[in-house]
Amino acid sequence: MPVYNFKALPTVPTASDLLDVVLSKTQRSTPTVVRGKWQISRIRQFYMRKVKYTQQTFHDKLGNVLDSFPKLDDIHPFYSDLMNVLYDRDHYKLALGQIHTAVGLIDKIAKDYVRLLKYGDSLYRCKQLKKAALGRMCTLMKKQKASLVYLEQVRQHMSRLPSIDPNTRTLLVCGYPNVGKSSFMNTVTRADVEVEPYAFTTKSLYVGHMDYKYLRWQVIDTPGILDRPLETRNTIEMQSITALAHLRAVVLYIVDISEQCGYTIAQQAALFHSIKPLFANKPLMVVCNKTDVQAMDSLPAESRKLLDEMKEAADLSGAGATAGMVVGSAGTDEGGHVTMSTLKEEGVSDVKNKACEMLLASRVDQKLKTRKTNDVLNRLHVALPSRGVRAPHIPKSVLDNASKGYPKSTRKTEKDLQEENGGAGVYSMDVRKNYLLEKEEWKYDKIPEIYDGHNVADFVDPDIEERLAELEREEEQMLREEENAMESGSEDDLTAEERRDLEKIRTKKSQIIAEHRKKKAKGQGQAHISRKHDTERRATSRRMRDALGELGVDASAAIERNRGRSVTRRGKKRALEEDGEEGRSKSRSKSRSAVMGRTHSSKSRSRSRGPSVSHTAEKGAGFKTSAQKMKAQIISDKMQRKMQKLARKGEGDRIIPNEMPKHLFSGKRGIGKTDRR
Amino acid sequence: MAVRAVFENSCDIGVFATLTNSYCLVALGASENFYSVFEAELADHIPVVKTSIAGTRLVGRMCVGNKNGLLLPHTTTDQELMHIRNSLPDEVIVQRVEERLSALGNCIAVNDYVALIHPDLDSATEEIIADVLGVEVFRQTIAGNILVGSYCKFTNQGGIVHPKTTVEDLDELSSLLQVPLVAGTVNRGSDVIGAGLVSNDWAAFTGMDTTSTELAVIESIFKLRSAQPSQIVQDMRSTIIDSMM
Repeated sequence: MPVYNFKALPTVPTASDLLDVVLSKTQRSTPTVVRGKWQISRIRQFYMRKVKYTQQTFHDKLGNVLDSFPKLDDIHPFYSDLMNVLYDRDHYKLALGQIHTAVGLIDKIAKDYVRLLKYGDSLYRCKQLKKAALGRMCTLMKKQKASLVYLEQVRQHMSRLPSIDPNTRTLLVCGYPNVGKSSFMNTVTRADVEVEPYAFTTKSLYVGHMDYKYLRWQVIDTPGILDRPLETRNTIEMQSITALAHLRAVVLYIVDISEQCGYTIAQQAALFHSIKPLFANKPLMVVCNKTDVQAMDSLPAESRKLLDEMKEAADLSGAGATAGMVVGSAGTDEGGHVTMSTLKEEGVSDVKNKACEMLLASRVDQKLKTRKTNDVLNRLHVALPSRGVRAPHIPKSVLDNASKGYPKSTRKTEKDLQEENGGAGVYSMDVRKNYLLEKEEWKYDKIPEIYDGHNVADFVDPDIEERLAELEREEEQMLREEENAMESGSEDDLTAEERRDLEKIRTKKSQIIAEHRKKKAKGQGQAHISRKHDTERRATSRRMRDALGELGVDASAAIERNRGRSVTRRGKKRALEEDGEEGRSKSRSKSRSAVMGRTHSSKSRSRSRGPSVSHTAEKGAGFKTSAQKMKAQIISDKMQRKMQKLARKGEGDRIIPNEMPKHLFSGKRGIGKTDRR
Repeated sequence: MAVRAVFENSCDIGVFATLTNSYCLVALGASENFYSVFEAELADHIPVVKTSIAGTRLVGRMCVGNKNGLLLPHTTTDQELMHIRNSLPDEVIVQRVEERLSALGNCIAVNDYVALIHPDLDSATEEIIADVLGVEVFRQTIAGNILVGSYCKFTNQGGIVHPKTTVEDLDELSSLLQVPLVAGTVNRGSDVIGAGLVSNDWAAFTGMDTTSTELAVIESIFKLRSAQPSQIVQDMRSTIIDSMM
């Protein structure tokens, strides 16, 4: 549903202001100097730009006005009619229409002159064309002076209209002038409407708000209406009529039974009957006011009769059927008339409640007929448990409080303390104040978070004593069981020799484990350790032999396999001989070691599987000769040595092979002449 | 009585506070305003504790508890746990739960007798809930939402569930929980009931946006100050229809 807020309409400038604004904006936002050497095409473009810019600015400014003003055909009929009454529909439409036409004409002028400018053959002619275009636009706007002034007045008036929501729950108060409509409004809401003892104090619609049954209600106070034909009614009365005609509200027709307002009850009844068509399809209530001056009981019979007639008509009209449903006894006399005294504020709230009930009933009736009902039916259902409910746990202090009628707590809250001690951001609450501990003095004890490198909280256990006792019990029991087992045990029937062996096995086992752990502690993936650093000489073939011998295994074959065999002189010699005699092809079939003797190879690389067909490496890969390669390999190995000794690879994974590449740092280029990239 | 409150311009106060019949936890705020709303209503009867949980202020969503106990997520720090233990009476068991779904407040809805839990919650957690809080546990959804803690709020007196819950579901849940239930909203139509509302058997707090109609429904269903659930269907029927359609 649209929200009607006319307070944010933009101001409408007067014609002269608009011209000043637009022309100075054009002057400021487009280039102003024409250079002597410009070609004609550029000069044309220069002036075209000015024309187009002026047109665009006019278009934007006026378009903004046209867009923001409400279209009478699009808005709620209440507002549309109210604006008709207040500003004259025709005049309003005409004004907007003229502005709209002016925008169109300005667009057309610009289009025409831009076309003409295309044929401008000199600077002078172009300039004159531009001048003519802007001049015509300005003349056009000057003619809209009256419309703009009118629209500005309308805007100012509209921004002061009360924000009435045509769709919400509304109480509409109407009646003759001076019957007490505004007094009623002032008693039920806080709108504070002006009340004076003369007719037409209220000259326009006023809106106030109140609460009833957890809902927001809108009360609209209307100007008084006189009993005369519609055509002769003035603007003030017409506002009331508009509200009566278009708002879906409960209508309170207020009758001054004391006739102090200057109109007899007969006159008021006549008005009621003449505007009755406006009450159709609305809940309606006739309220007899000023009972403090004129009691209902002492009313003359003919007046009484008139009131009865009005009441009957009210009950019959539109949603009158629902009106009968609700009965508020206090403000109603025996004849069923609703009475009040706004002066003494008697019966006012009953009138209000009754009216609200009537409207609510009719609105609910209407809404229940729509299809949307099913969506909210579940919200109106309170599911009660089939089995009995279980007791709540309410502290005794709360129940005591309830029996005393909920007295206001005198407690000093933290907020009070905060205000006393420098306000938010300065005051900091003492969080330990409310600790519930065994002893009061424990509250502010300092407890370390970390103690001896351990998180204290990991060791805090409320039943630690119990658990300790339990553990001790368990241990004791286990010990006892073990003893029992030992007594009946197996080790006793061992011979002395067996015992020694067992002892030996156990020592050995523990040794192995200790060694393994030591190794593990040093780090996984240990690199090769050089003899120099292997002071214990753990990994020697002699040791292997001993160890295997102890187990009764002949280790000679394994040692043979494991030892790095040096090449026999004989083998080397033979290889060389053969090489000399039979050339390269023959030597290919020889094993590589046989040919080369000891080969240096990178130790940082695992040895790959030999190729099925061995090849010579005299011309080492990338090197001139194999000797050179060997030399390089030796240097490389030397470099590695330090790392190897420490059995480390290094920590970083980023490798910069050459931190200062020569080609980038040498040369004749000085600093700052060229970027090296 | 139901009281409106706001936490640093947020109306989702159920995120920043948790309330049971024996204690109330409130988030640390920049000022004492929010804390004092609770303090003024409750501090004469039960401890109102200002704390963070897992370093966050989302106290109401992170933990869940009732009269008997309090369950905290595994992310709760030792210091917070100690602070809460010190502030709560000894009868209340405070327990940290190793549960993957650590926003316990979103996954569990509980009163002093029954708990509804998220269907994916660990079975170990389910046992802990039953033991520590002393409740029967049911794996349930509310109007198709698995976050039962977010979309409903119930005490021993009554409860509100997601506004789209059907009448059949309402009846079923009500007989399961053995409390009167109604489908409703808080904070001017918000369906995350658990986030907008905290309550116990005698007090309730809602977000500042809550309309008076919603507030009246809350007061009646939770039987605050001798209000009765039957009022919703009798006195407030037309109000609810008119405000919702």
